[in-house]
Amino acid sequence: MTNHWIDLKNAKVILIEGSNAAENHSMSMKWIMRAKENGAKVIHVDPRYTRTSKIADIYAQIRPGTDIAFLGAIINYILENKLYNEEFVRTHTNALYYTNEDFSFDNGVFSGYDEEEKKYATDSWSYQLNEEGTPIIGTSLDDPQCGFTKLKKFYSRYTFQVASDITGIPVETIKLIADTYVNAGPGTIMYALGMTQHTVGVQNIRSFGVLQLLLGNVGKPGTGINALRGEPNVQGSTDFALLFNYAPGYFNWPNSNQPTLEDWTKKNGTFRRRFFVNLLKAWFGENATPDNDFGYGWLPKKDANKNYSIYRIFETALDNTMKFMYIVGQNPMVTSPNLNLVHEGFCKLDMLVVNDLFMTETASFWEKPGVDPSEIKTEVIFLPAASFLEKEGTLTNSGRLVQWRYTGIKPVGKAKSDLEIFDLIYTKMRDLYKNSTDPKDEIFKRMTWEYPKENTSMADAVLKEINGYDLKTGKLATGISALKDDGSTSSGNWLYAGVYTEEGNHSMRTGNSDPSGLGVFPEFKWCWPGNIKIIYNRASADINGKPFDEKNKYIWWDAAEGRWTGYDIPDVGNINDGPDQPGGRKPFRMTGEGVGRLIANTYHDPDVTYEPLPRDVSSVPADGPLPEFYEPVESPTTNILHPNVAINPCLKYPRIEAKQPIGKKEDFPYVLCTSSIAEHWCAGSVTRNVPWLNELVKETYIEMPVKLADKLSVKNGDRVAVSSARGEIEVKVMVTHRIQPLQINGEEVTVVWMPYNWGYKGLSTAASTNLLTIDAGDPNTWIQETKACLVNIKKA
Amino acid sequence: MAQEIAMLHDISKCTACRACMVACKQWKNLPADPTPFEGEFQSHSDLSPTTYNLIKMKETYENGQFRWDFLKFQCMHCGDPACAKACPEDALTKLDNGVVSFDYDKCVGCGYCATNCPFGVPKIDKTTNKSTKCDLCEDRIANGMVPSCAQTCTADAILYGTREEMTAIAEKRLEALKKDYPNAQLYGVDQSNGVGGTTMMYVLTDHPSTFGLPESPKVPTSLAIWKDVVQPAGKMMLGATTMAVVGSIITHAMKKEKGGAEGGEDHEQ
Repeated sequence: MTNHWIDLKNAKVILIEGSNAAENHSMSMKWIMRAKENGAKVIHVDPRYTRTSKIADIYAQIRPGTDIAFLGAIINYILENKLYNEEFVRTHTNALYYTNEDFSFDNGVFSGYDEEEKKYATDSWSYQLNEEGTPIIGTSLDDPQCGFTKLKKFYSRYTFQVASDITGIPVETIKLIADTYVNAGPGTIMYALGMTQHTVGVQNIRSFGVLQLLLGNVGKPGTGINALRGEPNVQGSTDFALLFNYAPGYFNWPNSNQPTLEDWTKKNGTFRRRFFVNLLKAWFGENATPDNDFGYGWLPKKDANKNYSIYRIFETALDNTMKFMYIVGQNPMVTSPNLNLVHEGFCKLDMLVVNDLFMTETASFWEKPGVDPSEIKTEVIFLPAASFLEKEGTLTNSGRLVQWRYTGIKPVGKAKSDLEIFDLIYTKMRDLYKNSTDPKDEIFKRMTWEYPKENTSMADAVLKEINGYDLKTGKLATGISALKDDGSTSSGNWLYAGVYTEEGNHSMRTGNSDPSGLGVFPEFKWCWPGNIKIIYNRASADINGKPFDEKNKYIWWDAAEGRWTGYDIPDVGNINDGPDQPGGRKPFRMTGEGVGRLIANTYHDPDVTYEPLPRDVSSVPADGPLPEFYEPVESPTTNILHPNVAINPCLKYPRIEAKQPIGKKEDFPYVLCTSSIAEHWCAGSVTRNVPWLNELVKETYIEMPVKLADKLSVKNGDRVAVSSARGEIEVKVMVTHRIQPLQINGEEVTVVWMPYNWGYKGLSTAASTNLLTIDAGDPNTWIQETKACLVNIKKA
Repeated sequence: MAQEIAMLHDISKCTACRACMVACKQWKNLPADPTPFEGEFQSHSDLSPTTYNLIKMKETYENGQFRWDFLKFQCMHCGDPACAKACPEDALTKLDNGVVSFDYDKCVGCGYCATNCPFGVPKIDKTTNKSTKCDLCEDRIANGMVPSCAQTCTADAILYGTREEMTAIAEKRLEALKKDYPNAQLYGVDQSNGVGGTTMMYVLTDHPSTFGLPESPKVPTSLAIWKDVVQPAGKMMLGATTMAVVGSIITHAMKKEKGGAEGGEDHEQ
């Protein structure tokens, strides 16, 4: 979240798209209801009418996978009718920046496309630079060279009619939503996996970025783009690199093209290098010195040409490359798409270790119905883990709020906390490697790893290490600004620097005063970065540091005091740098150019201290500098914008032809959307062992429109066989008016929906929906397209 | 006199997340009541001896307009509770604070409460031969806590407080809702209705019958004779055996009277 949960109450219009917040993030309703009481309008855009739609003022049923077309039409409407916040667009975005003359978009692809590699060369996605190497900035939004003109031209194709044909939402509803969203402000956006689980997941979110930048809905109360993260610490886990391509703090993991820290810095910038050095100091302590690149060389490097996502993990198991897997707190035998492939992967392993609360489907993959366990050679070890109620530590919520959790009860049976399990395994491994002379094992000998053995003090010590230290004084680091680039400080995660200082563990704070009345609660727990509740809040003030909106002011420059002030910690480079100085000028201090990017750009600003190294290297999406609509891999229709480039041109799928068939609409005429529900969480590993939840929602089922049920001659509770190109399952039917057939490109398209939370273990068992779903992934994140695939349905 | 309390369900805010159902079972230590899935979103068709609180869900599709309504269904804690009137053992009593309290030890499982409740709430547990229903977490509120369902509600759809506060909130909400819902109304707030008002009050977006509530709930007439005339008289003048005989005659009459889940006599639908 750019903002935070409580801040939802400050919005006057809330767009919930690709999220069933009432069911899957029900606590958000507390704040949405308060916003509504203050007159806010709620808009819900989703493939079916859900419990969230029930509290919305406007609901629109959208075809799964077409959000870019819908948002594109709203953006185009704003551009054509000059409904944008002109001052914000001119000063706080790159609208006036001259784009590279070679930049183009034709027939569905951007300039730089390599069809064979399915990859873009991004050279033309840059600015025109002046002699000093900084971007040329125009003065008129109508200047043909500036990005804004390119933006307008790009979006002009997205008329309401085109969007309606693609999405199935009536033209008048799109216009109603556009008018409602544009005319009421501040406006905020809430999204979840309904936006991300697509082969265009990143570009879906980019559309939100463009929309909010155009309207100036950034950095102020009641604005922003808010990702609703999973309840059990999904935010915290991604902060700590439970993504295959990152190190803790969202640093790109070093690859084989970057043998030295300097090579890494060239690709990531000196700004991140400083914090990466602190991470290396946290890992290697005194062994990390400027002379040895702070131990950078001991880190294993990724093969720069390989992908290490969960999909590749199972695929490499299939080709006998992956021999061993250790799975913690995840149940891919329920949650991964194309489950038959996943199962085959498990069967090929030498050994599988599962660290979980219950014997999950993953731990018991060999018990899958229809499988003969005697034919599976994989050795499986199960480590019973303590639940969140049985251990101490922090949990980070979507609003980046780091909250300490206390032990409620002692672990049941022989279960141990994850920290204790990792500590036991690591210290044993270190022991086993102690006489090794192999350079790859050096890391085990060099890493500092001495923690108290008891859970509470271990968690305390780990959080201190994460916060970091001033290594000269031995005192805890006071915050991000105290972290040095010379190895004299350490921090296990720069974002968390300041969570635990000499004043105490801030994640335990319970101060409940809210001086601004805006729900900031500055002394309740602590949020990253630096307890800034609304990030990019500098953008709430104009270029001179004066609030754009006096009625909704948040952060401003106090000239008399010579500092930035307001209701939150100012998100500026230097709190005493005025709006005309480098540390106070940039509305978006993280990008090289200091403004928000309507069009993504490869610009790297030079670092005067470390020339020729760049200061910032912000990432650019692999599949284009602007969000273009592409059909899902399995689509019921043609791409009317560019029939020859129907799907994301950067997508590589199938990766294994025999195991990843693509269904055609002739054989699989219905669109299947899948998601979780209020009553069961994710794989259901925990929730399906709670009888009180099992009595509420009992098994996997399929929701279908009345018209389809009539066609199939089925009624509520009847059984149907649902099949895709990848698998078939039998489930009961729920017939409903909550999904209606859609008119897409002049033809009727039927969407059905299924929850994916079941498997064959636990107190409530039923068929796994993910036997049907497709494992095509977004080219940036490799998240799977579980929101849209094609199926056939027959009465069972 | 104890402060009169009330619970308010604002159906315009309810999202049917059903956390209140789980919270109820957790506090009351009630087992799950698994029923087969027959294609319905609603979890159980009715209250049961192990389900005191049920979110009822109803889909309506008329003239191309879809509507989904959720109603928290539980003991209404009537101002003039028919169940307490019907109970021959004084197991059910109306407390000054508004709660219809249930004394497990006194209950003999006769089922008169279930038969006479205009809302069809009490259910007899066949294994223990005792009546069951929500007691508004009597133990929690006696200790200054909020009933577990209201405590858990994520959307502030279930509120709990003094009757005065709840009435004020309900009236304010009604005013706000009238604009979009012309038939919006309060339910149970008016203490002059057929059951003397209810401690479980509602903000409804439409007529009560839309949500399965009787339009004009009423204590069955025969109960007044039973409780207010016959029972006291019997206790004063007659022996227990005679009392039981008179009782059975009246009960027979009571059972003939319309009531229970279908609602009061003046049901408008």
